[in-house]
Amino acid sequence: MMPRDTFLKRVRQAVLDGNRTGSATELPHRGGIGWQGAGADPVARFAKEMQAAGGHTHVVADADEAWQVVGPLLTDRAARRILLGNSPVLDRLGIGDRLLEAGLEVQVVDDLTCANCRDTFFQADLGISGVEYLIAETGSIVMAAKPTEPRSLSLLPPIHIAFADAQQILPDLFDLFDLFSPSPTPGRRMSPPPSALTLITGPSKTGDIELRLVTGVHGPGELHVVVLT
Amino acid sequence: MIDYAKDEHHDFLGGTAKALADAGLQKALTRLTDTLMAGNRRGFATLPDSDRLRDHAKAIKEHTLAHLDRYLEQLEASVLKLGGKVHYADSAEDARRIIVDIAKQTNCKTAVKSKSMTSEEVHLNPALEKAGIEVVESDFGEFIIQLAGERPSHLVAPAVHQTRESIARILSEHTGENLPDDPKILALTGRRLLRKKFYSADLGITGVNFAVAETGSVVLVTNEGNGRLTTTCPRVHVALMGMEKVIPRWCDLPVFLKLLARGATGQTLSVYSTILTGPRRAEELDGPEEFHLVILDNGRSRVLATPYRESLQCIRCGACLNACPVYRRIGGHAYGGVYSGPIGSILTPLYDSISENPHLPHASSLCGACQSACPVRINIPRMLIGLRELQHHGKPNRLESLAYRLWKMVLERPWLYRLALLGGRLFARPFAKDGWFRHLPGPVRNWTDVRDFPAPAARPFRDRWKELNHDAS
Repeated sequence: MMPRDTFLKRVRQAVLDGNRTGSATELPHRGGIGWQGAGADPVARFAKEMQAAGGHTHVVADADEAWQVVGPLLTDRAARRILLGNSPVLDRLGIGDRLLEAGLEVQVVDDLTCANCRDTFFQADLGISGVEYLIAETGSIVMAAKPTEPRSLSLLPPIHIAFADAQQILPDLFDLFDLFSPSPTPGRRMSPPPSALTLITGPSKTGDIELRLVTGVHGPGELHVVVLT
Repeated sequence: MIDYAKDEHHDFLGGTAKALADAGLQKALTRLTDTLMAGNRRGFATLPDSDRLRDHAKAIKEHTLAHLDRYLEQLEASVLKLGGKVHYADSAEDARRIIVDIAKQTNCKTAVKSKSMTSEEVHLNPALEKAGIEVVESDFGEFIIQLAGERPSHLVAPAVHQTRESIARILSEHTGENLPDDPKILALTGRRLLRKKFYSADLGITGVNFAVAETGSVVLVTNEGNGRLTTTCPRVHVALMGMEKVIPRWCDLPVFLKLLARGATGQTLSVYSTILTGPRRAEELDGPEEFHLVILDNGRSRVLATPYRESLQCIRCGACLNACPVYRRIGGHAYGGVYSGPIGSILTPLYDSISENPHLPHASSLCGACQSACPVRINIPRMLIGLRELQHHGKPNRLESLAYRLWKMVLERPWLYRLALLGGRLFARPFAKDGWFRHLPGPVRNWTDVRDFPAPAARPFRDRWKELNHDAS
């Protein structure tokens, strides 16, 4: 017998033996249990939770306001090598053009190939990306791996700036999981899960040294979220 | 290399004495457990119906364990459909061999690993090193204790027993620098050293917090981001999971994410919750080209068949450790197994043996703090009592059975009972003081050495009852 079959047969027997003493319950439906929502002002709730997690939220009304936030940030941090993702909100705000006008060294993810991307990813000072969604209740940004937005973009540079449209905000963590399905139903806004779906709640943290909080031990030490309303 | 014998032992009393005498450790344990428990309370306070969510989570776990074979097969099918591979490991030895074989077949020379208690359980690192594969722990705390040749002493704070001074010393010895004991400088030194490893590693090894049968997704939760790096940079990803980590549906995942982070630290979510569904897809620039899922039994099916099945519901958040008055004093290493605290006091005797770990089921006051703290409400006290019963089953103490035979004889004969009461009172009088026995002679000294015993009343209740009865009628 294959190791797999022996393994599963043993588990099956153990389940049967154990079920005699316990009971084989039904898989429960959650209904509304645990759904908290975000209250009347989801953007404010998001900003509050993100701040509690150590990240920064900047609410802007247009491209000029967005650049007024990002421009000084880039100067302050002396970021030279910028890694730029590709997402509709970045296009709408014209972030790529503004970066080039500012004379920065911009590497657009679209121009990279597997063969040359590793060094670029590791050497970037700052990553700029869109997001898939925002979750107000937890203050999280949701990143989905795709060719134009690789995992490294929000992970390897020491500073990450994420751009989102207020339309992308979801009240509760449970709402995010309603948007993906292994077998999407036609007519509903659902897609299969991407290869990597990452929920990011604040900058990278460790408390391993006497519980002293240190940010940036592996992932970005600084996280900014620019929300376009 | 790790000396497993040093931290995996059967000397609970020795380990306990050592921990209690270590003033630095006592301070660290108080700070850690107080901070995490306070966080836990704050975290659960933000979830208005957390009690119902806990019940829901427990019901999912109960259901999954009652159909575990079915969900493992579904998980396997989902992973295969995504282009991943599934391996089954009956034992720790199997798991080591399977992972070493994957490394060899994919020509991997260096591995990075994100924190995984299951990989500790199977003693993975020495096996990889023996096969010529360099393996580096990437969680900062785990990295420190790997350099120190130790084991984790807490589920989520593995290096709690180390101080900033000792961490500075350990890192300085490794780099040849003279590093100050500043947490920021030390942590960023860790970043610098580990970035080099991530850049060049071929193999990423992780544990699994949850595996979704329906989608084939494996979920990793970290605060540092090392779990993401481990599954982004290397070209091969091996995830090792205890078979009880499977959950049925995609929609069950947020239930556990909400509870895990709160249970562990009180965060509403950990910094990074990464849900990986198969290897890298076409046109993607990063992520592993190959994904292997290793499903481990190693004694779990034995437990699944018993009333101790409930222990398989554990999501390894560490809340019971922080709540436990015993763990809070003795720390993780005294328990002598991979898993410590109240849940470790159940898991170690079950997976290792009760006879080799006779003290663990007793390392609890049965106060129930562990069960109250547990996000999936595992009835730890029930199982500790059960293990105590198993321990003494079939091993009667002769003195004890003689005492019970006498007790039975007396109870069956009212005249003897009355006589015994009188004798007891007369015998007791000289030893009682202010209504208490504080020092008794002979074998009963064993009792009064550690606690007091109330002395019988001057007039027995039986006599008073007769009067009361008389008055009433």
